[in-house]
Amino acid sequence: MRGGFIEMELTKIFYIWTFLFLSGMMIGTPGGTAYADVGGGQKMYEAKGCGSCHMTKGPNTDKSFEDKLSHKGPDLWFAGSKFKKEWLAKWLQAPKPIRTMAYNSIEKKNAGDHPKLSGKEADDVTDYLMTLTSKDVVTGTIKAKNDLMGKMVFEKKQGCYGCHLSKRGAKVAGGVTGPSLVDAGQRLQGDWIYTYLSKPQAVIPVKRMPTYSGVLTDAELKGLAAYVASF
Amino acid sequence: MRRVIVLSLLLGVLTTWFVLQGQTFGASAVDNYKWYCSQCHGTNGKGDGPNATKDQPVSPRDHTDTKSMGKLTDADIENVVRDGGKATGKSSMMPPFKKTLTDSEIKDLVKYLRQLCKC
Repeated sequence: MRGGFIEMELTKIFYIWTFLFLSGMMIGTPGGTAYADVGGGQKMYEAKGCGSCHMTKGPNTDKSFEDKLSHKGPDLWFAGSKFKKEWLAKWLQAPKPIRTMAYNSIEKKNAGDHPKLSGKEADDVTDYLMTLTSKDVVTGTIKAKNDLMGKMVFEKKQGCYGCHLSKRGAKVAGGVTGPSLVDAGQRLQGDWIYTYLSKPQAVIPVKRMPTYSGVLTDAELKGLAAYVASF
Repeated sequence: MRRVIVLSLLLGVLTTWFVLQGQTFGASAVDNYKWYCSQCHGTNGKGDGPNATKDQPVSPRDHTDTKSMGKLTDADIENVVRDGGKATGKSSMMPPFKKTLTDSEIKDLVKYLRQLCKC
């Protein structure tokens, strides 16, 4: 009798738990990608084999260094939230290395051999890539400016130039394992920079850069994003 | 009764899986060193990582230097890894890893550094 009661109660708990768990999974899934354009740009992207190095379907579910190392190039599933459209269209026609080191390597130099696209191809692929966005990047949060708090964090509090190249006066200096931040504001959207700093797990869960969310205040992260976006 | 056991096991497996989804993965000290620290300190800890360029204001510490590393206590090393150079009176070029590595990973790194410096 008692066994039957326990069994009934456990069955109830199991069903309630399963319901709550599945509901939580549906609500809490991070990332998410919008696909608006399925036209020429996407066909061109596929025809050029871009997908052999880049990922256009998010979110990124990497959980280990091995997972991260399995990627041959940067994720593009949030390209429309990350890049400035004008920059992307120009860069695809004349790609210059953004990283001194090869992607995912701190030993091999970047060969600078990213394929070039013609003007029309670049425009079409850009149109397609700009439709890929992350719901975690909230637009209109960060306005590029020479933010004093951000500058203080970048140069004094954290020494970001330890891993990133940036303009220091008239010359370019800094570390090389992170992407160059020279002219970063022409390439990157400030809202993306802020999301990467404040919610890295939502966009790039495994990375070599330390996590600064919880180390710097939200005001500092916003200031830093605004400052880098002004480069 | 068998049904109770099966349900309990299933609940346990699902809960474990759910918990693992949300936490950071635990990597070995060697893997963490190679992934993070070697960017500045070099793969073998000699302070010659790719970020140790001539333009940097300070050079990364040579972790194989028995004499200088021997002056540091385990707590000193742990604090620098956790809170970064700036918080411990050193250069801000050393970033804080308290939100990147778990406490246990930081403690394992300290042990690995002791192996590197033989001190």
